[in-house]
Amino acid sequence: MTADQPFWNPRTETMPREQLRAWQWTKLRRAMAQARGSKFWADRIPEDITSFEDYVRRVPLVTKKDLVAAEEIAPPFGLLPSIDPSAAVRFHQTSGTSGNTPLRTFDTARDWAWAVDQWCTILHGVGVRPGQRAILAFGYGMFIGFWGMQDALMRMGCAVLPSGSMDSATRVRLLVDYQIEVIGCTPTYALRLLETAADMGIDLAADGNLKTVITGAEPRPPATVRAIERGFGAKVFDVAGMTELATVFTFECPGGPGISHIIEPAAIEEVLHPETREPVGYGERGVRVMTGLGREGWQIFRYWTEDIVIKRPWHECPCGRTWDWYEGGIIGRADDMRKIRGISVTPVMVEDVVRGFTEVREFQTVLRADRGLDVMVLRVEPTDPASARPELGERIAAEIKRTIGLLPMVELVEPGVLPRFEAKAVRFHDER
Amino acid sequence: MTSGELTPREERQLRECYAALHELAATCSVPSVRTAARAAVAEVHVALDGQALDFEMYTHRWLAEG
Ligand SMILES: [Zn+2]
Repeated sequence: MTADQPFWNPRTETMPREQLRAWQWTKLRRAMAQARGSKFWADRIPEDITSFEDYVRRVPLVTKKDLVAAEEIAPPFGLLPSIDPSAAVRFHQTSGTSGNTPLRTFDTARDWAWAVDQWCTILHGVGVRPGQRAILAFGYGMFIGFWGMQDALMRMGCAVLPSGSMDSATRVRLLVDYQIEVIGCTPTYALRLLETAADMGIDLAADGNLKTVITGAEPRPPATVRAIERGFGAKVFDVAGMTELATVFTFECPGGPGISHIIEPAAIEEVLHPETREPVGYGERGVRVMTGLGREGWQIFRYWTEDIVIKRPWHECPCGRTWDWYEGGIIGRADDMRKIRGISVTPVMVEDVVRGFTEVREFQTVLRADRGLDVMVLRVEPTDPASARPELGERIAAEIKRTIGLLPMVELVEPGVLPRFEAKAVRFHDER
Repeated sequence: MTSGELTPREERQLRECYAALHELAATCSVPSVRTAARAAVAEVHVALDGQALDFEMYTHRWLAEG
């Protein structure tokens, strides 16, 4: 029996910083050369970039709005592709909601193999090994979600039980019957599974066999992590990824809770001040700006992600990796996006739906944590309380479910109960 | 075994098989073999990237060839 190698790629995970920087520059140069094939990027990236400093100085920041606009010129991908999308083997898109055009991406076979390998980096790093059994509780749809994890597990020699359309009780049974060791899901859903198991009289920590819980897609307070770890009797590791990169870019290190290493050979991560857009130092809060170093077809350079992060230097984690890390992962959004059970919601999205009902005079959205589960409560004042029927609440809830993908609790309240606003309304209250 | 570094022999083998697979992927007229070679190129490329040995964006070269 040989000793276990803790790193997926010992060489690039423990590379001296100056070598890592040089390797990133090699990859960035090739990525920029490839981007000459994209009308969008060729216009933004000068041909004669000579160094990383030059790159940061001369390549403008790009926003999601810019990318969506470039795709809208000729959907689905518009001016963005660096190579003909006929080379793609898969398409993904962000969750487009009312008034919010999705961002569409594609991967070639080469790109997807690369994306999957980044997931392998994480899974191996947190202790997943060949022969283990796993389930991924997600929709298996166009949203990239845990697709990369699915393929990474199979590539590593783990078995994945596809649980796409199953309800929570069926998944609990799978966990026990197959003695599943690895699960990927949102933290909210992990709590839901524990609740369901309790209702079924099953103690997953005793009856199940979970060792590793991979959570992503929403922030998770420490109390939630503790509840999940206690309930499953397993270790919880947070990961963050994005459709725009094809894969994951940070993962929580076994070296310590809240240490989310950046997979630096996969992406160049700058942290900039939200207003001045100047770089901030280690330990300072800023907005994450990402350059992808993986894809050949749908590339991305200096993307203003809106993610709020605090970067820390690599040597403050004892694991031996030379990769810098984000303290607590993604700690918020620069815009007002809220995540509820993995679904992104903004005040405008809710307002857009509710204002479609003429019977509604005023409303208020409250996000609450109810026994650890995120819930959206919509308090609605009908225009005419005398004629408002109870099914109004049901219709609003159904419409929000249809357009945003989330079923809220709707309460009809008496006239004058909700606050009125003179100027900028604050109808969105996050009490979690 | 756990040094985490490829031996010179392993590194040479990795580079040689990548070159051979690339050639098959680009020129082989047997669909099954060409397809297997292209899938394997993507896998081996990932290994080279992970070892900081090579990083290529190559698929566009095959587009006209089908
Ligand atoms: Zn670490």
